Amino acid sequence: MKINRFDPPANIGDFTSNSELATKWNTYMSKNFSAGVKDVTKTVTGNGGGTCQFYNPVTNGHSEPDLDPADITWNGFPRKFLGNGPGVPPDFAKAEQLVSAGQARNQDEYLEWHVMRNTAGKITAIQFTCEGYDYYEFLGKEAPDMLLSLYQKFISPTVKKSDLFSGVKYNLLNRWNTHDGAMHLTHPANNLFAEVILGAQATVRRKNKAGVEVTSADTLCKCGGFGDEGRNSDPAIGAAVNALARQGRMITLSNPVGLYIDHIDDSSFRLPDGSHATGWFQIIRGTPGHTLRAVFAPPAGSMFTVSDIKIGGSAVQFGGQIAQKITMKLTGVGSVSTLIQNSPIACVASVGAAHITRSASSTDIPNELPTRGGR
Amino acid sequence: MPRRKRPVRHHATPPKKRDAKTSQPLEPLLNVHAIQGNILTGFNKDHQQLIALKIRNVEDTRRWLIRVLPSISSLFEVHQFNALYKARRVRFGQTPHGLIATWMNLAFSREGIAKLTSSADADALPDSSFRQGLGKDRAEFLGDPVPEGEGDPTARWLVGGTGRVPDILMIVAGDDPVQLASEIIRLRPGLKDGSGAPETMWEEKGEVLHDQPGHEHFGFKDGVSQPGVRGLISRKPKIYLTPRFLKRPADGSPEFSKPGQPLVWPGHFVLGYPFGDRSNGSRRDALPLARPWFKDGSFLVFRRLNQNVSAFKAFLVAEAARLARQPVFAGMTPERLGALIVGRWPSGAPFSRTPNVDNTSLANNDVSNNDFVFTVDTPPPDFLPKAGISADNFPRAMEGTHGPVCPRGAHIFKVNPRDQSSDVGSSFDTLTRRILRRGIPFGPSHPDPLRGDDGVERGLHFLCYQASIVDQFEFIQQDWANNSGAPTAGGHDLIIGQPGTPQRSLDLPAIASGNGAAKIETSARWVTPTGGGYFFAPSIPAIRTVLSRE
Repeated sequence: MKINRFDPPANIGDFTSNSELATKWNTYMSKNFSAGVKDVTKTVTGNGGGTCQFYNPVTNGHSEPDLDPADITWNGFPRKFLGNGPGVPPDFAKAEQLVSAGQARNQDEYLEWHVMRNTAGKITAIQFTCEGYDYYEFLGKEAPDMLLSLYQKFISPTVKKSDLFSGVKYNLLNRWNTHDGAMHLTHPANNLFAEVILGAQATVRRKNKAGVEVTSADTLCKCGGFGDEGRNSDPAIGAAVNALARQGRMITLSNPVGLYIDHIDDSSFRLPDGSHATGWFQIIRGTPGHTLRAVFAPPAGSMFTVSDIKIGGSAVQFGGQIAQKITMKLTGVGSVSTLIQNSPIACVASVGAAHITRSASSTDIPNELPTRGGR
Repeated sequence: MPRRKRPVRHHATPPKKRDAKTSQPLEPLLNVHAIQGNILTGFNKDHQQLIALKIRNVEDTRRWLIRVLPSISSLFEVHQFNALYKARRVRFGQTPHGLIATWMNLAFSREGIAKLTSSADADALPDSSFRQGLGKDRAEFLGDPVPEGEGDPTARWLVGGTGRVPDILMIVAGDDPVQLASEIIRLRPGLKDGSGAPETMWEEKGEVLHDQPGHEHFGFKDGVSQPGVRGLISRKPKIYLTPRFLKRPADGSPEFSKPGQPLVWPGHFVLGYPFGDRSNGSRRDALPLARPWFKDGSFLVFRRLNQNVSAFKAFLVAEAARLARQPVFAGMTPERLGALIVGRWPSGAPFSRTPNVDNTSLANNDVSNNDFVFTVDTPPPDFLPKAGISADNFPRAMEGTHGPVCPRGAHIFKVNPRDQSSDVGSSFDTLTRRILRRGIPFGPSHPDPLRGDDGVERGLHFLCYQASIVDQFEFIQQDWANNSGAPTAGGHDLIIGQPGTPQRSLDLPAIASGNGAAKIETSARWVTPTGGGYFFAPSIPAIRTVLSRE
């Protein structure tokens, strides 16, 4: 694949009237990809693993044919809050503990949500977002007025610039993105840079101590030192990318690079009158299949609240019950050609779960990429 | 004269969790005389009758239960018979003539247990879907279609459904239909049990299809892949419920009893036993139970599934012809399309091992027909020397770089993604989703499906046992089969998937050389639920001491 530039996630129109911003975003994403290439090249060449199978489609795109883009999917509800044991229910309450300004949500599947309740405790709306925080850091640096207008449009018209910035620095864990709303992702791992680097590092073929190539998702995630094997997303992404690598393909991520809500299965959502909860999942940023932001709330004129909905007879008490019905995705691309036959290399030293983070203060790419045990 | 009362027996928690000799996690001794026989080993009979009963009078029901108690088949009995049957079949090289048995098991709905104990007891059982019962809400959750003019998917069910849930489901199975009929007469509640003995609400005979034994009505071999349940049926001598033919992997990957049959901790099928950690498969101690008598019981899902054979076959013919016009699907036949949709050829041979043509020799080899994984070229099995089995000569399953692969929306992938990580975890998580299927067809084979619907009802009595209906049966149906994006992206399960939208689709990778794919779509339903229920199959001592109060 060869492309002229990286577009904003979901081809959202934030840069439509500002070509300079579009160029800067392309530069930022291109740097991410090049950082991934550099990192992987260092890893494979330094360990006798062959050549880098990850590429930057802007700077080093190729015109040879590609496979059809492959969606990589996972469930939006954090794995760590699922019950462990037959019949043990998920800990929905713990998954959505209200956070204060300065705190990140403990939702690490590239999907975060914020539950809004009325004075009676009934859920009136749930905000869902899957936009990486580095995109908003970018806006905060390059287009602060646009950032403010997005907050005012999607969170509250009362948001002030001073609520979002400390001087000129964007505060991604401001009150409107934590205690009072979910404008974008906050979990340290939930950023586009991480997506790119994870995709890059997963192209490295790995072997265990016995010399056997590692292919299973969680083990590969741990062995490759990318992401967190305790999530739904990272192992799934890594395994799918690594499968393409083992086939000898050149690999990149589809433009526009993003983490998306693919769809929600609301077919079993019922209102008290027995009708389907049609129109409650409202896509307000992005498109079906490439949704960046959605609100689950009563459509105009509805007499019900979210808490009135039942799923299979169980009343909705938590936003996580809705998140559990959301399928997330990103899209990878592999070349048709399978000429690169790399050798698997040893696992990285394991030092704990990895979060590939972005500096909150800068959109520059660090020289050394974090592996496991990052922030 | 009343039988001597025996207390419910409970095995003490093993004092150690690792085998001193092997350092492997200790497998529990299964309570073989308490666990009902169909759960862990399966009746495996050619004839099986389901009888749904309604409790009218509790005391007369208890009287009937006490009468039939000795006939409830235990794991010990069924396992012993199956082992003998297999030994003789191996020795004689054919089905052992004259070696027959008739078995009976019981299961109770939430309402049935509430009537015989209390609502508090019934609601203490650890499964929310069981407590709700398979009525309108859970049927909607599963995606069951709502008949035109109705507001409830179960409105026209022949058995079960909202407000019509049987209290008891009796399963009687045998090798000989005459003996089975005789046993049913003997076991059926009647006046001899009292004027208020349980009433038969519905009953139906299931039978192996005589013209295609072991196959379901669409023509595919059924029940090929079952998990291997860990646990001992005897400590001295040490005898595993599931014999071990393969070496234990050294890399921490899931352990298999034989190719394609992973070992799963019994706590995923029977209450009160260790279960596997969903992240790494390690042994976890049994969960505490609200009532001691829940131990050794299992949740049973029953679904009466009608199969529209003529519509399914007609679809295969039309769609294969459409696909064959595309270069990357050149040569597509209805049979091959069926194999892509199911993941196996009609014989049961896995598409992954024989992607171009059916192979009955492969299908008939009980070791080879399940020997494949999805994400890598399947390595040869590493048999234990004592197994006396050597690797076969059939082509190995390849991961697909240079050839056709099993579609990720194929039925066998959707319900068991094997080594492929799913949307919620690794292959260790998948082990926690497995169920023990005990289904059997009902109705005769369609004599000529391409001539259209013959007006005869046929389908499958789908039965499966598990420790959690929510985490196992319902998860497989609702989160995987119905979801185009799970376990991985690839489309719906066109056989059993029931998404909320009329259209169902399956992504089909090219079968000829070249890069390409197609999406096949249909709004047709070939499988329609027409009955069912959620039940609990208690231990035999629990039926004796708690439900019947013998």
